[in-house]
Amino acid sequence: MSSDAAARISIRTRYRLDDRVILLMMPAFVCLVVLLPVGQARPLAAAGVVLAFAVGLSGIDPAVLLRRWLGLTAVFGFLAVMVALGRPERATLGLGPVVASILAKNALALTAVLTTVHVLGLPRIVRAARALGLPDVPASSLLVMERYRHVLGEESARMLRARRARSFRRGRNLDWVILSGMIGLLFVRSFERGERVHAAMLARGWNGSMPELEEDSRR
Amino acid sequence: MSDHPAIQVERLRYRYPDGREALRGLDFRIESGERVALVGPNGAGKSTLLLHLNGILPGEDRRSSLHSHTHTHTRTTEDERSTRGEPAIRIGGLAIVDRNLPEIRRRVGLLFQDPDDQLFCTSVIEDVAFGPLNLGVSRSEARRIAIECLERVSLAEHADRAPHHLSFGERKRACLAGILACRPAILVLDEPTANLDPRGRRRFMALIAELDATILIATHDLEMVLELCPRTILLDQGRVVADGPSPRLLSDQDLLEAHGLEIPYSLRSRL
Repeated sequence: MSSDAAARISIRTRYRLDDRVILLMMPAFVCLVVLLPVGQARPLAAAGVVLAFAVGLSGIDPAVLLRRWLGLTAVFGFLAVMVALGRPERATLGLGPVVASILAKNALALTAVLTTVHVLGLPRIVRAARALGLPDVPASSLLVMERYRHVLGEESARMLRARRARSFRRGRNLDWVILSGMIGLLFVRSFERGERVHAAMLARGWNGSMPELEEDSRR
Repeated sequence: MSDHPAIQVERLRYRYPDGREALRGLDFRIESGERVALVGPNGAGKSTLLLHLNGILPGEDRRSSLHSHTHTHTRTTEDERSTRGEPAIRIGGLAIVDRNLPEIRRRVGLLFQDPDDQLFCTSVIEDVAFGPLNLGVSRSEARRIAIECLERVSLAEHADRAPHHLSFGERKRACLAGILACRPAILVLDEPTANLDPRGRRRFMALIAELDATILIATHDLEMVLELCPRTILLDQGRVVADGPSPRLLSDQDLLEAHGLEIPYSLRSRL
């Protein structure tokens, strides 16, 4: 094994020890942010500094997080206005600061979640959750789902490409009738693939539970 | 396994639940250390046969059949079935019945045609370690075996990668590593070179050639058969149509054409 491969595995090992801690810190931080009083900037700023430090440590490009958050701004903005209208602080602070405060809390919470997902990735999150007591069946299902999400994505992209190659539409969008047919076909194909995957698992001695190679996450 | 043939198939029949008859009484045996090709047109029953050799098929049928026998007969059911002329598959002398399945699956490594069917874990190393872990090997030993097998197929660099980040050829090799990790005595390969580019095909063939095991390859790649397998079994419509030395069988134009195949290019020039 080359030094690069060894280094990658050692990096995984180093992080793996902290996966459960990271996973527990995320909801703790989100709860803390939710409990902060509306309209008070200093506690929010302090939480922001802590989160900025975590983001910096993780090495994620803040622009990526910002883009993802902005993608949901319209929904969150609407919800923030709706919530702000019912808050008692509106009488003293006015609507604008209350909406801004709620949006800031939302941004901090969502950034914490996105950072955790980005740093760990679904497989490590599931393993950490398993080590924290998540039962085997949902954990294994999530891991297999993560693996086949990509396979099904590729398969649906191929189906779409083949459909477009044989159609004479100008736009890229397909109508609902065609889309629903394709989704149905994808479901049938997924079912068939599921049978083949099951056969492949049996062929290598699968006895009903997914064995775990990662020792550290169980500690 | 020394005194018994590696694979012994007697009167094997199989009908799919939809009524289609896939295998219509197969008989053959493969000795330990042999490399045999299984050729035939699409729908000949090649993949169905391979699934039988690992005990995946007939599944519920076998169980219900076995249960009915164990209810009415003594524990020597398998021997009795054999003397009564009932279908049987034996792997190194071991009958494929439920109680033998763990050992059968340790002995027979089955490579599927589509690597995405076989790579179901979220990283390559976990997938390769899946078999050893199921066999009860400790985690540290399973990791060691997995890395060793990945090195054997030149994929140690990709141990921590997700399977969907590998090329098709790399995925095929990762599947082979997953099978080798179970240390099988018999390798059963379903279309190992299908969809591979020439370099990937050549690389995969070199890997197969290095393996010290009994090998049965179901394939349409007749050039590979000539290169790797001294013996060929021709299957069509669920029956063994011909069984013999590959160069002789694959140069029989009438036979091949009658069963939807054609003479490999390298033999055509000699005719």
